[in-house]
Amino acid sequence: MLYSIKATDPFSTLSTTQYMENITNPILQDSTDELLIQHFKDGRKEAFDLLYYRHLPKVYKRVRYVVPENDVEDVTQEIFIAALNSIPSFRGDAKFSTWLRTLTNHKVAEFYRKRTRKQEPPISPLSDASMHTIGSTSKTLEERVYLQRALQSLPENYKEIILLRFAEDMQFNEIAEMTNQNLEATKSLFRRAIAALRTHLEK
Amino acid sequence: MDQTNEQPNPQQDDQLADFVDQVIKGRMKISASNPTDDLSSLEETVLRLNSSFPQDPLDEASIKQMHVRLKSRIRREEQSVKPSFWKKWFGVEITPQLGLAFAALAVVVVVLVSSPSFTTSGSTITGTASTPVNLFVAAGLAGVFFVLYWFTRRK
Repeated sequence: MLYSIKATDPFSTLSTTQYMENITNPILQDSTDELLIQHFKDGRKEAFDLLYYRHLPKVYKRVRYVVPENDVEDVTQEIFIAALNSIPSFRGDAKFSTWLRTLTNHKVAEFYRKRTRKQEPPISPLSDASMHTIGSTSKTLEERVYLQRALQSLPENYKEIILLRFAEDMQFNEIAEMTNQNLEATKSLFRRAIAALRTHLEK
Repeated sequence: MDQTNEQPNPQQDDQLADFVDQVIKGRMKISASNPTDDLSSLEETVLRLNSSFPQDPLDEASIKQMHVRLKSRIRREEQSVKPSFWKKWFGVEITPQLGLAFAALAVVVVVLVSSPSFTTSGSTITGTASTPVNLFVAAGLAGVFFVLYWFTRRK
């Protein structure tokens, strides 16, 4: 079920400053994610806008590491639409950011499943790279595609620790705490993940 | 996979972790180890990873534009969703729970209709003769319920 959005979107006519003032509603601004979810469940739909604003940068960056440039925004939209539809059943057993990360991984996996079903090549470096040259050189984009392909080939725990450190900019002690591991084990896993990535890149 | 990398090496773990911290902060642009070391190739991989993906955060204007596009898409998808048969005719959306309740009701109907006590004449001849017919009716009813449920459930 999709939640009703007003036919005339108030955000589309606002300047960036007005928009930011609107989205950082002082009442909601200081609320935790869990409180915002409660507000949303109570019918204050603008709470979702704040959740979106808060989590978009990290979600977008994570998706950018694993999905071809052309599809990053599309996949990101699907993640937030899925979040919007699933929030009513969010029970708060885990933190919202953890829940959203899991949702992101599911949506990325779904993207690759659909792509495989359509029998498109997994990631074609030249075609994807040649379509986006604004702001980045095609060489960088081609390198990015090779790295994405190598990342996708890694075991899930290796891929996850690389994404947590690079895409989400989490410190090793934060990753250790989140994954219930000690710091040494976390750093060791990271080294093995980078070694596996190097091996894939050398293939 | 390179099996040597599976060996525990706490010193290398720490060195690589420190190197990554420096790279992400933008304080390290080249490998810090001797090129012949195994660690050097890992550092090169870290540098490749860091330089290939933009580290600068999304600016506010981009966030706004993406938000507007998301809302447009939600609106488009909402308009394209066809109301289900149940919603259209009875004003009720069939949830999985309601679907299950209908299925349970169908089973109850089948049991009632096919039970011998359903025929009230008391005649064994009538009962014996009507049971197969009742079974056909019950199976038909269950089939209709199933087909209705199948075609009207939410995709």
